[in-house]
Amino acid sequence: MSTQVNTQWMRTDVLIIGGGTAGTMAAIKARQANPEADVLILEKANIRRSGAIAMGMDGVNTAVIPGHSTPEQYTREVTIANDGIVNQAAVYQTGKLGFDVIQELESWGVKFQKDPQGNYDLKQVHRVGKYVLPMPEGKDLKTILTRQVKRHKARVTNRVMATRVLVRNGRAIGAVGFDVRNGDFIVIQAKAVILCTGACGRLGLPASGYLYGTYENPTNAGDGYSMAYHAGAELSNIECFQINPLIKDYNGPACAYVAGPLGAQTVNAEGYRFINCDYWSGQMMLEVWKELNSGKGPVQLKMTHLDNDTIAEIESVLWANERPSRERFHAGRGENYRTHGVEMNISEIGLCSGHSASGVWVNEKAETTVPGLYAAGDMASVPHNYMIGAFVFGRLAGENAIDYIQDLDYLEPDPDFLEAEKARIYAPLNQPNGIPHTQVEYKLRRLVNDYLQPPKVSHKMEIGLQNFVRYQETLQLMGARDPHELMRCLEVHFIRDCAEMAARASLYRRESRWGLYHYCVDYPEKNNQEWFCHVNLKKTEVGEMVLFKRPIDPYIIDVDVNREVYDVAVR
Amino acid sequence: MSTNIDSELNQWLELLRSPNESDRLVAVKTLQHLGDEDALDPLIIALTDQSTTVQKLAVIALWELANPAAVPALISCLASPDGEVRAESRSALGELVSPDHLLLLLDALQQKNVELQLGVLFLLRKIHDVQCLPYILPLFKSDQAELREAAVTTLRYLNQVKQCPAAIALLSDPDETVRRSATLTLGHLADADVVAALCHALTSDVDWQVRRNAAKSLALHADPSAVSALATALADDHWQVRKFTLQALQTTPDDRTLPVLIQALTDEYSDVRRDAAIALGALKNPAALNALQQALDDPDRDVCIYTQHAINSIQEALQEPSNA
Amino acid sequence: MALINQRVDVPVIVDESKCLEKCTACIEVCPLDVLAKNPDTGKAYMKYDECWFCLPCEKECPTGAITVQIPFLLR
Repeated sequence: MSTQVNTQWMRTDVLIIGGGTAGTMAAIKARQANPEADVLILEKANIRRSGAIAMGMDGVNTAVIPGHSTPEQYTREVTIANDGIVNQAAVYQTGKLGFDVIQELESWGVKFQKDPQGNYDLKQVHRVGKYVLPMPEGKDLKTILTRQVKRHKARVTNRVMATRVLVRNGRAIGAVGFDVRNGDFIVIQAKAVILCTGACGRLGLPASGYLYGTYENPTNAGDGYSMAYHAGAELSNIECFQINPLIKDYNGPACAYVAGPLGAQTVNAEGYRFINCDYWSGQMMLEVWKELNSGKGPVQLKMTHLDNDTIAEIESVLWANERPSRERFHAGRGENYRTHGVEMNISEIGLCSGHSASGVWVNEKAETTVPGLYAAGDMASVPHNYMIGAFVFGRLAGENAIDYIQDLDYLEPDPDFLEAEKARIYAPLNQPNGIPHTQVEYKLRRLVNDYLQPPKVSHKMEIGLQNFVRYQETLQLMGARDPHELMRCLEVHFIRDCAEMAARASLYRRESRWGLYHYCVDYPEKNNQEWFCHVNLKKTEVGEMVLFKRPIDPYIIDVDVNREVYDVAVR
Repeated sequence: MSTNIDSELNQWLELLRSPNESDRLVAVKTLQHLGDEDALDPLIIALTDQSTTVQKLAVIALWELANPAAVPALISCLASPDGEVRAESRSALGELVSPDHLLLLLDALQQKNVELQLGVLFLLRKIHDVQCLPYILPLFKSDQAELREAAVTTLRYLNQVKQCPAAIALLSDPDETVRRSATLTLGHLADADVVAALCHALTSDVDWQVRRNAAKSLALHADPSAVSALATALADDHWQVRKFTLQALQTTPDDRTLPVLIQALTDEYSDVRRDAAIALGALKNPAALNALQQALDDPDRDVCIYTQHAINSIQEALQEPSNA
Repeated sequence: MALINQRVDVPVIVDESKCLEKCTACIEVCPLDVLAKNPDTGKAYMKYDECWFCLPCEKECPTGAITVQIPFLLR
């Protein structure tokens, strides 16, 4: 089969892999920085509706608006919320440049909530400070971004999935992948590559058992985590999992951010609040986990005490944005916010720096540790970065990539590498009766649940790790009947890489940190003496995964992490 | 990735003129996805297609093109008999209108078409221009409650308007939706009798949402003359009135309210108890300490946390004189 | 290796009487690329059971031919 595959060669100055929040912004900013540069977005879906915000967003969580908060305050709050394990220079960028992003989005037609006087209508959801800015008309965010990509004349290639970054002489020189509709083998030469492929949202298996019933857009399978790893880049704090409090079975957000400011409450079965902060953090998740395991569960989002008009207002936002099928989920069960609480559950694990801290290591210029390779968005390790952070780092990646490629020429990819990668990609098509990707993926993700879901136990994770390593052989059994199935097969490869990284990183950090995200039964306490550092990992020259401590750069904003501890439940 | 974009576009433009409705639907949908500016004029023409579905898709396609040249034609669509066409036009214009379109909008506001007028009143809120005032005021006397409500809501968004007796008069409107909106608007006005009027609404309107909105507006005014009316409103039947009344009282701490605030610490609703604790903290009166100590046992964690904050702030206030 | 074709309840339902042969709007927007045209009828159908119930297909359909149900396992 692979011998008959048609090969397409493409060239661009800046290649952006993934056309979601960060990727579209990277393209726009690269074109603004140099209108002569050729910029190409490679997207395995269609940029009109792709990525984490495919169906829009109902608000931003990290808006640093002058007069309400400062980049310094924001950096402090994220430092404390992430238990001190931050590269402050990177976090500071989101605080400093976030307002620019908001103003630029507004100039493109994105509507943020304002009071009658025309001021931003910020809400307090974090422990300290107001950073949440609702955007009740946010359902069209993605179409607006698509329009700007077009106006800035960045090129877009939809329905092509990248599988590996090309590296030569230690620098990123392009990518390879395939067309998920016609199966063509695609080789793209570029002077710089920006990875913006989102979270690894298909790591754990949802309790429903439905492979695609995930919180994240299930196309986000950890592609960039895996590609950056194989390109030799460092990844950081992978043990800081993403775990969210979600609507049970539906696995979407209950959107306490939307409903909370209007009076909804996260409560236990007795109807009482047990946390004082709806901002998602590992510490909050640990409180939810304790409450669920204390006999006071189930936990629910309660609106039954509110009046009809207020609930209708909440519904009008929730039904239109982010996950609009929530309405029919509730209706199908005969549930109504006026009479029923929304039962909440703890999600399966994922990797996502947008929410927690697990991602590809980047500095304050969005550079990874591989020259010419940049990362932005949910996959780039800037803690609690959310949508605004994705825009900010997309911008930084786009601008800095343009800077980097000056006087740079294309390098020819290694023909042996291309042949080997081609053989790896198309192997499942050579055995169409091999095990279907659905079964191979189900078992892998079930193992993730069995052995990695916190609370973490070293002995269990050791077994998990052995399973994930051995799963390399299982992957060879997969068969695909068409390019679409091939796409899913290659995604399972990405998921396996992420599972191995998650197990190794969790075993390496012998302490507990970030609440439930890294709650280790064997080491239940936080240990700043030994573990006040990043845990980074990378692939060695001989293809082994090594882990090491990376020291935390001196803070630029003073925070005493021994004294200022993030707590959402104390009096 | 077609290399021959022009012929691709022309093919769809031609299909948009097909006598067959299905073909025109496919054409307008494809043009929406292509997002090509050259389709602007044909799409504006499609706003008057005999099929309302084609009209609706043309509105969405023009919205995505985001070219202000489409604004006049889209304003006409606000008067469409089809609800979906109106709703999409309103959303599209919400993104596209700018102060440049003010005269066009005011012109439309004077046409006697309720749907059109409602749409324009909504859009004027995006522009915040005081020039609208003389065009809005006559609508306060409309025989349509919807228009009166929309007009007094729009008034709230005209930042430079500081006084408007006609808005105070709407507090006695027979329709409660008009009164609800009017009370909120009064939070932003500075007429001499506005606080008194809000106090009256807070304590005597039959509609609880009017009373709650009056409390919200009084919190914005933060006027000590409202304290006795607010203290009375703490006995309101509806918990949201009590909650927002407490938030207003937090802005004007007054020791006379101590007993009613302590009583509110045992309210049935946790949000009321929480705001009562915050209000007691604002008083900085040690006489509240005993009651607050008991509230530390509240089953609701949020109430406990704010109660502790209140105790801390009272104790800090106690230490201040000795340090001075 | 032995494979079987197993029946599943699919979330995306297409009303073939409304679906237009010349239109590919739903297929173009699906983030998971699970929709396709039946070559025999020219109508869209759900070819792969990988739905995120995100609704662009339903919202973009010009004739209202598509209904997305919550997948059975979650319903």
